Amino acid sequence: MSPAATQSKAVSPLRRFAAHTTTTCATQASAYGQCMLASYQDVRKDMCKAEFDLFAQCLRQAMARK
Amino acid sequence: MLRSLARRAAISSSSSHILGPYQVFDRNAKRIQKDRAALRESSRTVDYVRDEVADRMMERFMDIKREFNTILDLGSGAGHFSKLLELEKAKKSVMVDSSKHSLFRDPSSEFEVEVERIHGDEEKLLEIVEPNTQEAIVSCLSLHWVNDLPGTLVQIREALRPDGLFLGAMFGGDTLFELRTSLQLAEQEREGGIAPHVSPMTETRDISNLMGRAGFSLLTVDVDEVKVAYPSMWDLMDDLGAMGEGNAIFGPRRPLRRDTLAAASAIYSSLHGLGDGSVPATFQIIYMIGWKPAPSQPQPLQRGAGKVPLGDVL
Repeated sequence: MSPAATQSKAVSPLRRFAAHTTTTCATQASAYGQCMLASYQDVRKDMCKAEFDLFAQCLRQAMARK
Repeated sequence: MLRSLARRAAISSSSSHILGPYQVFDRNAKRIQKDRAALRESSRTVDYVRDEVADRMMERFMDIKREFNTILDLGSGAGHFSKLLELEKAKKSVMVDSSKHSLFRDPSSEFEVEVERIHGDEEKLLEIVEPNTQEAIVSCLSLHWVNDLPGTLVQIREALRPDGLFLGAMFGGDTLFELRTSLQLAEQEREGGIAPHVSPMTETRDISNLMGRAGFSLLTVDVDEVKVAYPSMWDLMDDLGAMGEGNAIFGPRRPLRRDTLAAASAIYSSLHGLGDGSVPATFQIIYMIGWKPAPSQPQPLQRGAGKVPLGDVL
């Protein structure tokens, strides 16, 4: 976290969410990223839906755990 | 960039705006963003981009073999450039900025030269100073929020005395391209359409044309990059917000969904990641130097005025 980010005392839900995207769910994030990387020059809606659903599911579980 | 979108929209729509041909940015929203950013504790910790660019701009300033009594620092912010001024080079700096809290953030004791601060709109320079009065005008990272760039450059040229100097630095077209592309890819894949979240920025080749069109002579334009590594896209966005550099594009603003941001963060790391887990952000800086024309400046000779054939010299 940058100095600016760590200074706020209370951790907002968005910050917790942000932290989970790069820590708890890093594997799923990377799978989604690789899928996008494979064909980023021709992006269509829901092209990587399967990968994103796994990523989103992980994030929801992580957020629910507290 | 994300915080208080609804609140900001309410504030900017309450004041009346007439949309001219050049209205790209909501300058009222921008002023509020900058004021709020300057009041926060984090404001000083995110000075690194502006301080670095001010430093590089100072190198160019020191190369100019002239001493000045007073220079005008247009869009000075907290005075990142003026703080570096030395007494041998300039005696006084007049700082102009539309954000009052940025302008008065740092005490005068942090400056070596005398400073005067004027709270005023950068786009209306000629309402602040008289034409033909300024020895030198500098602008460090402020012109990228100006709506009417051609008009502002003309005003700068007007405000200068003949043979007066304009030295500017502004963000160029490649700035934050990683963030721009990641957000676009994420929005396209998740939501099936894109909205602007990163400002359109001036291309380098346009600057020379704009400077020429505004009537500056003896132009020098060069480009350079500042690359900063961040732990993640979120930290970059936090810092941009803390700099007061959040999105301020005019028009109906559609906030980014949380899921789309998560997708963008994943894409950012995969597409641009540095391998050690951090992600880079590029700030492209265009430096420009121009002079107000004066008879004392070197002029091209008349065609055919040469006496010695070039072949004899070479």
